[in-house]
Amino acid sequence: MKRQIPLIIVITLGFLFVAHTFIPSKASVDFYDWWVSWAKAISPFAVVLGILSLFMVHGTKIQRKAPNWQYSVVTLLALVVTAVSGFAWGTNEGTPFLWLFQNVQMPMSATMFSLLAFYIASAAYKAFRAKSPQATVLLIAAFIVMMGQVPIGAAISKWIPETAQWILNVPNLAAKRGIATGVGLGMTATSLKILLGIERTYLGSD
Amino acid sequence: MNIFQRMQNIDRRWIYLVVALCIIIPLLIPFNSKTYVTDPSSNLYQKIDSFAGKEDKAVLLSFSHDASTMAELFPMEVSILRHCFERNIKVFTICFSPPSAPLMAYALNVAKEDYPNSQSGVDYCNFGYKPYGLFLPIVLGMGDDVAEAVQTDADGRKIKNLEIMNGIRNYDDLNLIVDFAASAAVFSWITYARVRFGANVAAGVTAVMAADNYPYLQSGQLVGMLSGLKGAAEYEKLVDVFAAYEDADNPNGRKYSPEVIKDTWVPIMSKKISYDSSQGNIDTDVPLPYKFKMARIGMNAQSIAHIMIIVFIILGNIGYFTTRKKPDETI
Amino acid sequence: MLEFISNLIAAILTLFIFSFLYKDNPFYRFAEHLLVGVSMGYAIPLVYINAFIPFVYRPIFLEGNLWLIIPSCIGILYIFRFTRNLSWLSRYPIAFGMGIVGMGVPMSMHSSVLVQMRNAMRPIDSINSFLIFIGTVSILLYFYFSKPHKGLYGKFTNVGIWFMMVGFGASFGYTVMARISLLIGRIQFLLGDFLGLIK
Repeated sequence: MKRQIPLIIVITLGFLFVAHTFIPSKASVDFYDWWVSWAKAISPFAVVLGILSLFMVHGTKIQRKAPNWQYSVVTLLALVVTAVSGFAWGTNEGTPFLWLFQNVQMPMSATMFSLLAFYIASAAYKAFRAKSPQATVLLIAAFIVMMGQVPIGAAISKWIPETAQWILNVPNLAAKRGIATGVGLGMTATSLKILLGIERTYLGSD
Repeated sequence: MNIFQRMQNIDRRWIYLVVALCIIIPLLIPFNSKTYVTDPSSNLYQKIDSFAGKEDKAVLLSFSHDASTMAELFPMEVSILRHCFERNIKVFTICFSPPSAPLMAYALNVAKEDYPNSQSGVDYCNFGYKPYGLFLPIVLGMGDDVAEAVQTDADGRKIKNLEIMNGIRNYDDLNLIVDFAASAAVFSWITYARVRFGANVAAGVTAVMAADNYPYLQSGQLVGMLSGLKGAAEYEKLVDVFAAYEDADNPNGRKYSPEVIKDTWVPIMSKKISYDSSQGNIDTDVPLPYKFKMARIGMNAQSIAHIMIIVFIILGNIGYFTTRKKPDETI
Repeated sequence: MLEFISNLIAAILTLFIFSFLYKDNPFYRFAEHLLVGVSMGYAIPLVYINAFIPFVYRPIFLEGNLWLIIPSCIGILYIFRFTRNLSWLSRYPIAFGMGIVGMGVPMSMHSSVLVQMRNAMRPIDSINSFLIFIGTVSILLYFYFSKPHKGLYGKFTNVGIWFMMVGFGASFGYTVMARISLLIGRIQFLLGDFLGLIK
């Protein structure tokens, strides 16, 4: 009941989907339509997981007055205000809901990721060392690709962008094809293991 | 402590300051620079351009990213939309994640400001945000009937009643999907729309993802690709040089030519589009607003920043190798 | 006026996040927690309007499709994820969605493996296609651990490492470009949209 039935559901549906992919028929189309309508009805509830998780983590912090619990109030308040504004005034252009997203979420999210530019520069100075011939080749390839992308590289010599493109089109392509094929085989093997009930970690522990 | 040892122990905040200055100064003092156009970008341009003025061909732009990678992807989205509006190419937009919806609407608004004649439902259509649970049903459904699979657009209108749908039924007509992503989202389109229905797929990706996609370009699973801010800058130039070109013989743009794109460059400091080539200079009255050259202006700062990173790596290595303890020669 | 206030707030929050570069501080923490809250709060009404209403409420309550009560109940089982004794119930909605792997196996095999293999077997008509062939095969053999990497075989798999180093170098070069681009975007906002210094 706890593990066997979910496993039977995955295996049965999985093989029905294999049949659906290879055997076009009315029954297979009907099966697919049925699955889609059920999957659609299940999908909205997944968001509840995220909300509950956030409320549990931050609610506990506030309740226990853990260090910096005041910031948890900010998180929960922001969540409630944003959600309520969406329900109260709608989600279209010009509503407070969209204003909050465009002027609070968007700039902060973009800035958060832009911090990586500083970190990569710091790492370039403090960590990227040509300690071995392989590491040296890596750095030289990186230099050429970096210079080949920017206008100043083309201004120095047209060979720089052309060499960069050659690196991308030949050795890089070979490397990425080798890796991608391995990953593709791995993904297929993992999917097959799920389909055959060998891989069960997605069901969580008991 | 010698200079190399001091260099090794420098406070990281000094490095941050140098990074900030290397980006702020070239943006404040912009300069003209040449953009080298690569094959993945020009292939995508040519594919989209082959739909120009055709009733039964359209492009679908899929927005699969949030604001965090907007700096790289937004200029390419605006450029492709501008290309479509310039050349009367039917264009649709769709997204399957909530944070992409306002970005999609924003890109459409920014691009269409300069094209008042382009109308929603006639020349372009925003399918809007569809929950991810609908991804497969829509991707597979569009193989049979786009209007049936998508049902309504962002404004709640029935797709099948819209004028833009004349001649557009399935992937034979909605013949190119361009997915903008900071992830491997484009592979879902390759796996389902291309494998099953033979749809053409292209990618607008952040530069982080770009190198991994080259095997798929060579295999033809991707018909073209824009790679980060550089890809956006290339597309901006392609649109300036061909789609936005105007003269007595070519009132609505001119055809792509590899020789012309190699030989011509567009000075970005100018407020109007002008062409500089070995054939001579051409000045036009066509405006070149900031939004249509923002990637190229950004690439100026990118030039300086890349040199800075290379210098950092070299200096770091010099410091490392000169301060590294030499092996004891007596052993 | 609204645009100015909007840009001002966006700029202040941008600077709050940048302040972390100096050191961790209350402004950064405030912005960080605000970001998490707004991001989650943003998804709730959108999922309600675009998924719950059309796929659950309308078909069950307005169109009378009572069969959909069953998947809705399965969906509700997600909530038990956080209970101690009944968390196993949340496996049911997960299992229902997981069934789609059956469709993914043949399709991803085709797109990720077969097409790539077909292109790896193109006729060798130039030095470049020879290099691509050697690189792909040597990398695939490098990851084949059932035979010891010794002798001539070991030397050949070693070639794969060099190809991978060039590939990683290309990825690194592109990654630097990506990270710098993100910062350029924010500086363009601060100097252009907010301060109006870029025209």
